[in-house]
Amino acid sequence: MNGFGTRGAVMLTAAVSLALGLTVLGVPAGALAQDAAMGVDDGTRITMWSRAATQARADALVKAYNATHKNQIDVTFVPTDDYQTKVGAAAAAGGLPDLFSADVVFMPNWTSAGLFTDITDRIESLPFKDNIAQAAIDVSTWDGKKYGLPFIVDLSVWMYNKKLFRDAGLDPDKPPATFGEFVAAARAVGKLGGGVAGTFFGGNCGGCNVFTWWPISWADGQPVMNPEGTESNLNSDTMKQIYAGFREMVADGTVLMPDSETEAGPTWTGYFPRGVIGIMPMPASLQGMANAALADEDIGVTSIKGIKGGESTFVGGDAIGISRDSKVPDAAWNFMAWLVGDEAQVEVVAKGGNVVARPDLAANKYSSADPRLVTFNTIAGKGQTPFAKNFGATYNDPQGPWIPLFRDAVFGDPSRIDAHNDAINESLNP
Amino acid sequence: MSAPERTASWQLGWWRTRQLLGVAYAVPTIVFVAVFFVAPLALVIRMSLNSWPLLTGDQGLNFPKNYVSITTNRLFTPAVVFTIEYTLLVTVLLIGLGLVLALLVQGSGKWVGMLRTVFLLPVALGLASASLLFWGFYSPSIGPISPILEGLGLIDQPISFLRTPLSALLSTTFLIVWKYAGLYMLILLVGLQAIPDEVYEAGALDGASRGQIFRHITLPLLRPSLALALILCVTGSLLAFDQFYILTKGGPDNRTVTVVQLIYREAFQRQNLGTAAAVSIIVLAALLVVNAFQFRALRDPERA
Amino acid sequence: MRQTLLGRTPFYVLTGGLAIIFLFPLAWSLVASVSPQPATGQVIGYGLGNYATLYNFGAGLERFTFNSGFVAFLTVAVTLGVSTLGGYAFAKFRFPGRDALFLLTLAILMVPYATLLIPLYVLLNYLGLQNSLTGLSLVLAMFQLPFATYMMRISFEAVPRELEESALVDGCGTFAVLWRILLPSVRPGLITVSLFAFLAAWNEFFAPLILLSDSAKQTLPLAVANLRQQTMGAIDYGATEAGVVVMALPCLVLFVLLQRHYVRGFMSGAVKG
Repeated sequence: MNGFGTRGAVMLTAAVSLALGLTVLGVPAGALAQDAAMGVDDGTRITMWSRAATQARADALVKAYNATHKNQIDVTFVPTDDYQTKVGAAAAAGGLPDLFSADVVFMPNWTSAGLFTDITDRIESLPFKDNIAQAAIDVSTWDGKKYGLPFIVDLSVWMYNKKLFRDAGLDPDKPPATFGEFVAAARAVGKLGGGVAGTFFGGNCGGCNVFTWWPISWADGQPVMNPEGTESNLNSDTMKQIYAGFREMVADGTVLMPDSETEAGPTWTGYFPRGVIGIMPMPASLQGMANAALADEDIGVTSIKGIKGGESTFVGGDAIGISRDSKVPDAAWNFMAWLVGDEAQVEVVAKGGNVVARPDLAANKYSSADPRLVTFNTIAGKGQTPFAKNFGATYNDPQGPWIPLFRDAVFGDPSRIDAHNDAINESLNP
Repeated sequence: MSAPERTASWQLGWWRTRQLLGVAYAVPTIVFVAVFFVAPLALVIRMSLNSWPLLTGDQGLNFPKNYVSITTNRLFTPAVVFTIEYTLLVTVLLIGLGLVLALLVQGSGKWVGMLRTVFLLPVALGLASASLLFWGFYSPSIGPISPILEGLGLIDQPISFLRTPLSALLSTTFLIVWKYAGLYMLILLVGLQAIPDEVYEAGALDGASRGQIFRHITLPLLRPSLALALILCVTGSLLAFDQFYILTKGGPDNRTVTVVQLIYREAFQRQNLGTAAAVSIIVLAALLVVNAFQFRALRDPERA
Repeated sequence: MRQTLLGRTPFYVLTGGLAIIFLFPLAWSLVASVSPQPATGQVIGYGLGNYATLYNFGAGLERFTFNSGFVAFLTVAVTLGVSTLGGYAFAKFRFPGRDALFLLTLAILMVPYATLLIPLYVLLNYLGLQNSLTGLSLVLAMFQLPFATYMMRISFEAVPRELEESALVDGCGTFAVLWRILLPSVRPGLITVSLFAFLAAWNEFFAPLILLSDSAKQTLPLAVANLRQQTMGAIDYGATEAGVVVMALPCLVLFVLLQRHYVRGFMSGAVKG
């Protein structure tokens, strides 16, 4: 890692002397700034990896870039569960592509190991640098150096089925304003019976409950970890009340069982579109959601609330960076700079019904057509992205210590929460 | 030089040439094994002796830290115990069912021929494909078993195949038995058919009962085939990975974690190639011992 | 005598029941791949929607199938070449280190290969074979060597020595003996080795996952795994089962067509035990 720092310094020195030299030679400063900001588009072939989970959205961006640029990106999608393995193996053997994206929670792990090229100065030179969603940049910063930009923004929200709300005598235009109201609404829908359940969660999936339960605590102002990601508060009173809420809903049959208990992640978002769930947390995307079993106008969307009210979200999705092995960082940067620019964000991201990575573009011609998209874009600014170097091994790993914690809290013996939290602390500080 | 001497030296020369020719034919194997197996294995051994994070590489010698830290890991003992339990269960079922199937299809005729083909079909699938198939087959969303049983009025709640540690183990075992029973049937069938009819006839003439013939004639003569089946089955089961990786991910509650899953987790989740390599070396050593023992125990006493 | 283990009717009931249990999962995956399911390529009525999803995915089904076919073909060729020569050496020659080499080859079976893949990745880089279907095939052939070498050794051992000796006396070289006399006699062994190498290479998932890093070089199992986990947390069961069917079909067809041969391949081992 020391070697990396030295290399970065050498490159920086080289860049500075090159810039000085060019100024002396009389190259207009404006043109130079432009090049430095946008990188080069000279027909370079750029290799890139991304995970299958975000393939549809990533593919749309890459296709739009390839259609309008001389550079051509060859993107390879990797099965989501194996993405960490693939990148790890390539890093170990020296075979990383030019660009690769990462689930934001993995960024600290990869930046701290020096997998990416430092792009602090490149980001600095972007004219709209202050308008980029900061969460992904913050989570990609290590030792004061920036390594990544937001690629795909994915938020968690509560989605509810307005038809089931009406059937249960609830007001479909008045979504829950507290976690307590969420439980009450779920319970009311759960009483309908006939294959319908109040709510659903991935009871064997670490990532799902990070994404959907932590914002409840954040909305109450209760952090789940310290900012350095070395100490867990997952045994706080707030979290214990949240676990207890789900425990009660499991006990009284509000939760879809046994599916919830066995769900390990691969299908957790598949239940809501089937029209059999009253209310549950979901990723903030309407793409491909409506179908014969769930009419588009019946999909209600609201932010995740705390026990006392307030709202928050998990600002997730993927960040992207230039790998340390890339031989064409200038060309690769051209894609990244384009990615967070106005055209890509509005004409590709917003047009596809997704959350933009530029809060200043949240109100655009596409989002104004659907108030739900406005909701998505507004709450993006109120969310958090957790930061921990050992995030994956602690929270996503099927054999990590977080899954036993919430499984005991919800299905098993809640008195063991504190002991499990100690195991989490141990895993955060190996 | 006298004639006998010349013959002897000619023979010696012939032997040398034969030896050299043998080595020459073995050269591709030697090169392949050396380059693609021994060299990587040497690197694995080195990794197990050094501190070797996946992302940052070799950090120098730290023996015996990797071996100590992995054997004291909270998942290590449960994984070893579970892998052994799974191996015993699968081996008993596979060899037992393989033998039953072999006895059922050892005759001739159309029906028996068709049965053989049917039992062998699952062998053609890859283990990953078969695991994916059963992943859908067991899923609450599209799995066919629960709707059929519900339709027959036998159950009123859908069966959850992977909910408890026991059901997850049994469901995975079913997949493996389904996929491999045909292979063990084939190995044992070949053994059965190599037993000459005269031996049975002699046994029948002596008035031996069917059970006695099976115990005293069939089983002993089947020994070589049983040994092959046993070694294959035990080795494969102790190295079980794909089926659990796809079906259970080691869950629920870490109760179906096998040793190779532990290796995978150390290498790619915890990003520690040193400890991953240490478990691999332990597994390799254990398998060498187990197989040497099986080989000795099952060797035909007359040929020994 | 052997057939009268059970009475006629119980025999048919028992074997018929077993046959149904063995066929049911296979038949189900075929049916599931064309059945209607929400959130798949086949929403209403029966049809080939899921296969269309698979066909249009990424670089296209033809590309993935070609890659898988190429890898399988090369793996079979390399495995056959190495194991035939090796099996001949082990069965018909005595040379120092023979038994050690044979045991070392069998030991390949006993190494958990998740760990071996990283050193192999480094090795392929070193040989200039990184990210190549050829490099992948060599690795897969190595994993086939224990079974293939064992199979070829017992096949050659089962050929009577007289056959070979008379040819040697007639002045044939050892290679001519191998090529003209022995190879025709070990054909079932060759077919068995090829078939199992093909099945393993065609279905392999982890080695291509780690060793290939180019969208145009992906193999079929990788593409199906990608398709399965495509949308965030929602699985396309239909496309998954369609993928299972597409991957399984060539294997099943080959397996049934070649059954006679590989059963005989296994037989050659039984004679000697």
